[in-house]
Amino acid sequence: MGLLRVGGLLALTIAGSLAFTTAVPAPASAADGTIVFGAALAATGSTAREGELTKEGYEFWKDYTNSHGGMKVAGKTYNVDIKYADDESNPQTAARLVEKFVSEDKVNFILGPYGSANSATAAAVVERLKVPMVEGNGAAQSIFSQGFKYTFAVLAPGTKYLQGILEMALTLKPAPKTVAIATANDAFSVEVGGGAAAFATAHGMTVIYNNKYPADTTDVSAVVSGIKAVNPDIILNGGHLDEALLLQRTFKEQNVNAKIFGYSVGPDTPDYRKTLGKDANWVFGGTQWSPTAKYKGAAGFIGDSKVYAAAFDKKYGHIPDYHNAESTAACLAFQYAIEKAGSLDPLKVRDALQALDVVTFYGILKFDSRGINMYKPMAVNQIQNGNLMTVWPLGVQNAKPMYPTPPWDKR
Amino acid sequence: MDLFWQDLVNGLLVGGIFAVVALGFSLVWGIMNIINLAHGSFVMLGAYTAYVLFSNWHLDPFFSIPIAFVVLFVFGYCIQRFVINFVVRAPILTTFLLTFGLSLLIVNFALLVFHGDVKGITTQYSGSNFSLGNVTIAWVKLWTLLVALVITALMQLWLSRSKTGRAIRAMAMDIDAAQLSGVRVAHLYAIVFGLGAGLAGAAGVLISLSYSLQPSMGDPFVISAFVVCVLGGLGSVQGALVGGLIFGVLEAFGSQYIGTGLQDAVALVVLLIVLIVRPRGLLGKANA
Amino acid sequence: MATAPPNRGLGGITGNANALGVTVAALVLMAFVPQLHSGYYENLGRGVLMFATLSLGWNIIGGYTGYASFGNVVFFGLGSYTAAVLWQHWHQQSIALAVVCAMAVGVAFALVLGIPILRLRGHYFGIATLGIALATQEIVSNIDWLGAGSGFTVRPLDAYSNYYYAMWIVCAASMLATYLIARSKLGYAFVAIRENEEAAAVLGVDPTRYKVTAWAISAAMAAAAGAVFAGANGFIDPPTAFALDNNIFPIVMVILGGAGTVAGPLVGALILTAINETLWSHFPQIHTLFFGAVIVVVVVFLPRGILWLFNTRGGWKGIAGSLGAYRV
Repeated sequence: MGLLRVGGLLALTIAGSLAFTTAVPAPASAADGTIVFGAALAATGSTAREGELTKEGYEFWKDYTNSHGGMKVAGKTYNVDIKYADDESNPQTAARLVEKFVSEDKVNFILGPYGSANSATAAAVVERLKVPMVEGNGAAQSIFSQGFKYTFAVLAPGTKYLQGILEMALTLKPAPKTVAIATANDAFSVEVGGGAAAFATAHGMTVIYNNKYPADTTDVSAVVSGIKAVNPDIILNGGHLDEALLLQRTFKEQNVNAKIFGYSVGPDTPDYRKTLGKDANWVFGGTQWSPTAKYKGAAGFIGDSKVYAAAFDKKYGHIPDYHNAESTAACLAFQYAIEKAGSLDPLKVRDALQALDVVTFYGILKFDSRGINMYKPMAVNQIQNGNLMTVWPLGVQNAKPMYPTPPWDKR
Repeated sequence: MDLFWQDLVNGLLVGGIFAVVALGFSLVWGIMNIINLAHGSFVMLGAYTAYVLFSNWHLDPFFSIPIAFVVLFVFGYCIQRFVINFVVRAPILTTFLLTFGLSLLIVNFALLVFHGDVKGITTQYSGSNFSLGNVTIAWVKLWTLLVALVITALMQLWLSRSKTGRAIRAMAMDIDAAQLSGVRVAHLYAIVFGLGAGLAGAAGVLISLSYSLQPSMGDPFVISAFVVCVLGGLGSVQGALVGGLIFGVLEAFGSQYIGTGLQDAVALVVLLIVLIVRPRGLLGKANA
Repeated sequence: MATAPPNRGLGGITGNANALGVTVAALVLMAFVPQLHSGYYENLGRGVLMFATLSLGWNIIGGYTGYASFGNVVFFGLGSYTAAVLWQHWHQQSIALAVVCAMAVGVAFALVLGIPILRLRGHYFGIATLGIALATQEIVSNIDWLGAGSGFTVRPLDAYSNYYYAMWIVCAASMLATYLIARSKLGYAFVAIRENEEAAAVLGVDPTRYKVTAWAISAAMAAAAGAVFAGANGFIDPPTAFALDNNIFPIVMVILGGAGTVAGPLVGALILTAINETLWSHFPQIHTLFFGAVIVVVVVFLPRGILWLFNTRGGWKGIAGSLGAYRV
């Protein structure tokens, strides 16, 4: 084949596929009366499950809002639409997709991806492109130490995740004294572990074990045997769902007992209870929200956690966990900010977000100067007889903590 | 001192899992010169087979082992005979690429069918354990190691005694001579690949007893399979076993005594030293 | 032991001249992408150039020398960290300085580890490199000064498009280097080692010296790509820097494009990216599934890579005929 033929073939393939790429039907734009959000979420990869939960949260808000008269901005009514793309649980992909959403698809605003690493890269992109992003699933404080002005997080930061459990522990009798902390070696988990260690030390407890293990590892036996050797009162884990499952199984296998088992992520998700069955009982989890939370929300959206949970359950067939709720809350933040700003201009909406101060079913939505919601407390859930009960703080408690956790052979 | 024994036991037990995953991988690599990147997806399919049988018909996973073996054997045979065979004598990187594509296909297909949520098999005896002195041993992990040993022994016996096994070894030495001697090479290649897949399936069932199931669950085990195969020596059945056990123990000790954050690094550095000192692996044959 | 496809039918040590001409033209065209003022295309193009550079690097050690490395991402990662540290911790502003330092780190690493490792043949070398990559990632995850497992953000330098141009320069330089090396004594030594290492040694080619040189060159290219990437990405942590994707995709691209040629890596990078993007846009949920299917089909029908199309006679019939070449 000659130069021309193959050169032509090459050029055709590339040009053709790129044209094909962008010849996706133009998304509905604000001109048609629709506000469009872009969301890069994991549909494949290690956080596919959490990405799915996040999507459910976003979709719930979208359907609810559209079926209840849409959003009112400066006297005009708008529908809302959300465009999704799979970031494969990969931070660069998330950044690339956010870039595409803004510069090619011309979405109005960005809803955050799942996970701290993906949120970090997305935050860098929206900062450069000056489009506001609200996320509900990236809790690492390091995202907010760059002075970014366009990213806001509705969830309490990573450092707080396990502090609620320790706070609660201080009120229990006999008071637990020693703490073992195991964290996965990633941004979020390390922050969680650091926050827990600092809190424990500051409140008179002793941290007798504090180690990191490789993220997504297949084997934690050395960590578990090390913890067993020091016999702590409280065992805490900073990590994601995979690690929480692996650790709990290994604790049972090596017959490790403690008065409190606490996990940053895991116990809340329906998967955790389903997979472990009764081995999940007595486990505590730090949670951003629970269906029994007693916040009374501002009018214009579901104000009550119980009603939200029921409506969500009807739509998706499971009680919402905190990933669902915080994702919906992220959309809510946008809703209130946009309506308050009375405009779709990115800068005006950004300013409205910075000034936001509103109570919702999820709790208070207010951001400090860095964009973090430092004002919402973490609650503590415990799995009791297969059910997830909120046990702390006292204001939202719907069951007392079951303490201490009995040894494995006595259950 | 108790910690030492506990770590040793833990290392051997997890090493058994590494070994059984590496067994099929090493067989295919050593005999057919194929690096099967889809091996992890076969492991995953074996695990999901056990899951489906367990959740629908309450079949105990240990009984699923032979079933998963057969299912994956057939699957592997077909894949080799009808897809990989087109390029099976191509240089190793071509098949590497092909199995990479296959792996993507299989994992994402599983994602469609089973969805991404985490599943698990929890039986009556999950997590049950007994103590020898101050060392706690989980029953399931112990049985896994025993099954791994049995499978290794059976494989070794079959390869050295049976007619097919001997034909396979002849083929591995010199494919053209074997063909001239009447060995049906295409069929045998498919059998070897099917065996590799079947062993992966069996490994998957064993893994499902201790780990959660997700479509991407096989990937970390493939990486360790790479290392274990080379550590033990390619194409050697005992090598996979020895390599797996040693790797498991190295990880356990490295994790406890050097740093839990460094457990893989320690084992890998040891692997590098072994390779530099003894390039064909611990039990490997002299020609690469 | 030769582990890469022999360069038969691919047109000589630099590959088919026509193919090379077309590819260079494509490269020149790519220099103008930032003029489109589209963040999306710039991102995409920069990704192609980055992967092309990684592929060109792999091509030197894997394609020309025949030693398939499964761990070249370690150089990419080290280069990323070097640049990130220079920019974020030591407040340097220059992209060029960061790239040069990154290359130095990469080359040093390759030289130190290459001498023991490159005595290993074929598979064992590959696994050793994989082990090095995995171990390095984990070790970096434990160094607090480098951000440990959490990583750190890298404040982007002023003009963002500069990263694109920097990556273009890195890629073009790599391609030029490959061309010059291929036609020089180095190139012929590499190929001699690939085709028959013992014979080459007998004829006076010191294998270890040349193999280490090849690996060091590939290290320099990968590290340079990593440095620019770190700045453009704005964030670095161990999983990002040492991502297995950056390890495997270059190999895929080189094999698909045509190993042991100058144009092959860039062709592979362009085509694979085009396919990936197309699938992504139209099948957002199952694009990976189709991507796997595409790879399978292409490998079965074009086991020697796409550049082989340039040299074959008989068009489609030629391809169909070649289906039998590698089967049992």
